[in-house]
Amino acid sequence: MSIQVEQVRKQYGSFNALAGVSLTIASGELMALLGPSGSGKTTLLRIIAGLESPDDGSILLHGEESTRHSAAKRGIGFVFQHYALFRHMTIFENVAFGLRVQPRSLRPSRQKISERVCELLRLVQLDTYAQMYPEQLSGGQRQRVALARALAVQPKVLLLDEPFSALDAKVRKELRDWLRRIHDELHVTTVLVTHDQEEALEVADRVAILNQGKLEQIGTPQSIYDCPASPFVYNFLGNVNLFHGRLLADLSSLGRDGNVESAGSAIGFVRPHELELSRKHPVDVKAVAASVVRIHATGPQIRLELSIAGILKPVAAELGRKQFEALALVPGDDIFVWPQSIRLFDDPATTSLLLDQGAGI
Amino acid sequence: MNRRRSIPSSLLLKPSRAQRAGRAALILLALLFLAGFLILPVVAVFTQALSQGWTIYRNSVVQQDVLSALRLTCLVAAIAVPLNVLFGIAASWAITRFDFPGKSLLITMIDIPLSVSPVVAGMMYVEVFGLHGWLGPWLMAHNLHIIFAVPGIVLATVFVTCPFVARELIPFMQAQGSDEEIAAVVLGANGWNLFWRVTLPNIKWALLYGTILAASRSIGEFGAVSVVSGHIRGQTTTLPLQVEMLYNEYNFTAAFAAASLLTLAAIVTLGIKKALEGPASGDQMETEEEKGAS
Repeated sequence: MSIQVEQVRKQYGSFNALAGVSLTIASGELMALLGPSGSGKTTLLRIIAGLESPDDGSILLHGEESTRHSAAKRGIGFVFQHYALFRHMTIFENVAFGLRVQPRSLRPSRQKISERVCELLRLVQLDTYAQMYPEQLSGGQRQRVALARALAVQPKVLLLDEPFSALDAKVRKELRDWLRRIHDELHVTTVLVTHDQEEALEVADRVAILNQGKLEQIGTPQSIYDCPASPFVYNFLGNVNLFHGRLLADLSSLGRDGNVESAGSAIGFVRPHELELSRKHPVDVKAVAASVVRIHATGPQIRLELSIAGILKPVAAELGRKQFEALALVPGDDIFVWPQSIRLFDDPATTSLLLDQGAGI
Repeated sequence: MNRRRSIPSSLLLKPSRAQRAGRAALILLALLFLAGFLILPVVAVFTQALSQGWTIYRNSVVQQDVLSALRLTCLVAAIAVPLNVLFGIAASWAITRFDFPGKSLLITMIDIPLSVSPVVAGMMYVEVFGLHGWLGPWLMAHNLHIIFAVPGIVLATVFVTCPFVARELIPFMQAQGSDEEIAAVVLGANGWNLFWRVTLPNIKWALLYGTILAASRSIGEFGAVSVVSGHIRGQTTTLPLQVEMLYNEYNFTAAFAAASLLTLAAIVTLGIKKALEGPASGDQMETEEEKGAS
């Protein structure tokens, strides 16, 4: 079932939680709503669920106007951050709840309910825990029960509100992969709210990035990572070096993409792995001199901290093991550095300083 | 909790002699106080009641007036307690699950019966329903008796006991949050299912606890009931009023015999409350610990 969000606004007192958000989620898609806290992502999810009503705008489920429908009527499954399992019921009863409370005419027989619950518990690999109580389970197991419970009523839409954020890193990663597998198996339209960019980029088919109640960018994880539409998105997704500067040359001579209208104040973003390093000044591009401050040599990528004259913050660079070994760097070495690519935006702050050769690098 | 308990006592600092002496003195003081001010009077009630032998005690208890007072007391409690439970659940649900104008006013109002003297509560009812009160003439014309009759006693008791269940439930439901209820609604539960399958099982211990407090208060209420009852022997006297009447007539043995019934009722309710506290507080601690761990 597809979900259409049209110009949804929501205000809490003087706080603008959603300032007119529109997006469409295709049937069977896994969409992540990503943003920092206070960006409105959870509010949007709750409005889609029918747990909150928007001040303005509408929600269409499968093309049908549903803004005024109750949560129960929308046929959704909701998974809460803190599981919200019924603590006085066994795992079996928790999963069976949605089936047991259906009106008599729709309610499956006892036998059918039991079969369906067992099937779901097998799906979440908790069939041996059926007679236990939620407090006897670990956080990861509880969240799997919560998912099975949400799936029991065969929802057309599955909504997850920061489902893994209360779990430790390793369990979080496991559950993330597992959610993706379940989604591939069931193909139920899923919306996942998260503040963890890695989680969003890894699990979702498409990611919608929200900031201060507005949609910043929407797209596949790759397109968002490769072409961030705004400084905010650039900053939010992964490590980035930020250069303030003034464009000296006009853009065409840079030959690089960017949103800068004209020469003037600009900020440039370069991801650490986009920085090239060499012991000698390259012949065809301009490079700046830097010195190696620190080396983090754990993991497949080597991370370097460089200091460049005129830039206060250390600059981060990343390179593969082979290249690192070829360069044979030690802290204190002098080196030349230049970006493979740089994305430029108009600098909103007038106090741009540092690196006048910003456009040059 | 378990962790704390499993610390071997040898790891704790050994108290010095002076500390031990101080601790013993404190415990002794507390025990003496308990004995002097609580246990002794209770024992005295039973001693006085049984002072002229079991037969006299039995005869005093099965007296027509005492029995009818006992019946009335039970009737009043049987009406007041369920009303209290209904009001308590409704008020605490409204307060903890919804935002509405006048919410803080409602919270404050719930406390009024606890802060106002019961005598005043009784007088308020006289002022409203009494012969010379606001509704008096109308009630008179329709031959309805509230003051100096059973309805007045019930009303006064309801007023005095109405905070008990709500007072127990509100903090409990606030702490528990509404996540489970929202989950149930999303899963399609209607109001009926929501209440009986999710809310009630979660609040049952706090609810029982509040109910017991309300019951023991409605059995023992004196001040408010005294004002509205009119002390008609065998008709509008509850057990506490009966005790007072017998006492004022210098019929000490009978007074203490009736008082011993009230004391027994109090001891029984305290016993039930104690028995309920065990599982209830245990549950609570476990869930809190769980939350802390996760």
